[in-house]
Amino acid sequence: MRHALSPLLLEAAEQDERFLVLSGDHGYELFDGLRTHYPERFVNVGVAEQSLVGIAAGLCRVGFRPCIYGLAAFVPMRVLEQVKIDLCHGSLPVIMLGDGAGLVYSVLGASHQCGEDIACLRSLPNIAVYSPCDAHEFRACWNEARQASHPSYLRIGKASPDEMHPGPLRGTGPVVVCEAADARARGVVVATGAMVRMGVQCAREHGIRCISVPRLKPAPVELLELLSGVQRIAVLEEHVSSGGLWSLLLEMLQSAGVTGHVSVEPIGLRDAFTQTAGDHQHALSEHGLDDGQIADRLTRWLNARPARMP
Amino acid sequence: MHIAPIDPRALRRHIVRMAYAGRSAHLGCALSLVEICAVLFGGVMRYDRSDPLASERDLLLLSKGHGVMALYACFRELGWMVDEDVRNYLANGTRLRGVSEADIPGCEVSGGSLGHGLPVAVGMAFGLLRQQSERRVWCIVGDGEMNEGSMWEAMLFASHQRLGNLTVIVDANGFQAMGNTEEVLRLEPLAAKFAAFGFATVECDGHDIPAITAALHGGGDGQGRPRAIIARTVKGHGISFMAADNRWHYTRLTAETLAAALEELR
Repeated sequence: MRHALSPLLLEAAEQDERFLVLSGDHGYELFDGLRTHYPERFVNVGVAEQSLVGIAAGLCRVGFRPCIYGLAAFVPMRVLEQVKIDLCHGSLPVIMLGDGAGLVYSVLGASHQCGEDIACLRSLPNIAVYSPCDAHEFRACWNEARQASHPSYLRIGKASPDEMHPGPLRGTGPVVVCEAADARARGVVVATGAMVRMGVQCAREHGIRCISVPRLKPAPVELLELLSGVQRIAVLEEHVSSGGLWSLLLEMLQSAGVTGHVSVEPIGLRDAFTQTAGDHQHALSEHGLDDGQIADRLTRWLNARPARMP
Repeated sequence: MHIAPIDPRALRRHIVRMAYAGRSAHLGCALSLVEICAVLFGGVMRYDRSDPLASERDLLLLSKGHGVMALYACFRELGWMVDEDVRNYLANGTRLRGVSEADIPGCEVSGGSLGHGLPVAVGMAFGLLRQQSERRVWCIVGDGEMNEGSMWEAMLFASHQRLGNLTVIVDANGFQAMGNTEEVLRLEPLAAKFAAFGFATVECDGHDIPAITAALHGGGDGQGRPRAIIARTVKGHGISFMAADNRWHYTRLTAETLAAALEELR
């Protein structure tokens, strides 16, 4: 998914003279194309995330369309209050890219890991929150954010070479990424971001439906229709379940009056920091979320109760 | 365009009337920047008296948003606000709040959370310079506000990018919410710090109109250095029983103290 970003930055610079990228001394070769063709459109403000957001807000207020880049642990997490006041309060069309979201920076530990950004940003007014799973979703979210008249956040999680969608998407609403013959029978996996990969893999194995949710705010209301009649849902995310997609889905079901008969299983990060060094899969394993654990958990979840009779 | 001078006593009258009507705190930190605002709106800044949102205006950001009554007082003098705004200050459902908010024409930035206005001002100055615009950016900050790390981040960037169109005015009234700035978190030598960060820096008496005018009119140094004016002010200046008394950061006016203040400002 990350590979989709560089050409999109270049394209935006070509199309819109107001577009520029600001970074807090992160990004490396991600910006090589932009810096080669439009060197003046890339501004490294230094290791200064607070003023990074303020400077972007000031640029936006005099007519620019800035995109700010950082590791998700820093943008938006370190600068949440700047995001709230400088961007959201004035509803400024600034795009935030939060890279390495989730536990991508496994060896660097809690300071660089980020499992709470969706929960935090979802509570702020005026901002759109996206968690794309592949290059197709990323392009759809990016294009929507560039057209927006309000701030947007694109969460960039663990890069996977695989595309989850066969081709370009028309919007940012929830999409069925693995179809099943009887979509409602045994249960449905709902996933976002990097976890869609495992969602699809397990859904194929068990012959159940998997839905990807790239846009989390504004709420993906179409999800309710896709889940109509479904009684068992597992929600897969590399983010704390509380405040993340799991919470969002519960809120949507409650608001729609769908209660009592639907069980929604959280398969997300635990309420804990990781404790040891290791690779990404190892970090996930501390949360019961490495590939094998997810497969086991979904299998147990599917076998826990007999399938609902239609 | 001809811009008439603004009478600081008239501004102070608006401020104490607003503070009384709204039972507002933050009186002292508004009174200390009255002359600074009077000079800015009295001929230094380029703006259109008939339109606070005129496209070619200079931008004035009150980063120390708690002093906003001084700005409102200017807006009242300029006719951007009506007397009802003063009489009904902070009443339920009214649009003016107790700190500067970007949605009020003339305010440009939400400065209630300290350490925000200067980075935004720096972004604006950077953008205007890229657009080769003649517009200038003026940012009033507090000495207490200089405790915030984001201020120093923004100063580094302003200097690095040679933002000669930016002027930072420090309302150095020597106090912050809970005490003397030197006792809470030592700031001096402030002018030397700005100079060390690459600012063309001058100090002046922040209540002396000719001195402020000279400091603000002084052009850039031609090398693109951003400017800093350390305006030495007195918190609560202009009303004898408030001057240099930090209790007026949070004390509310009574009918009696209002009358006494207005009597002094006649």
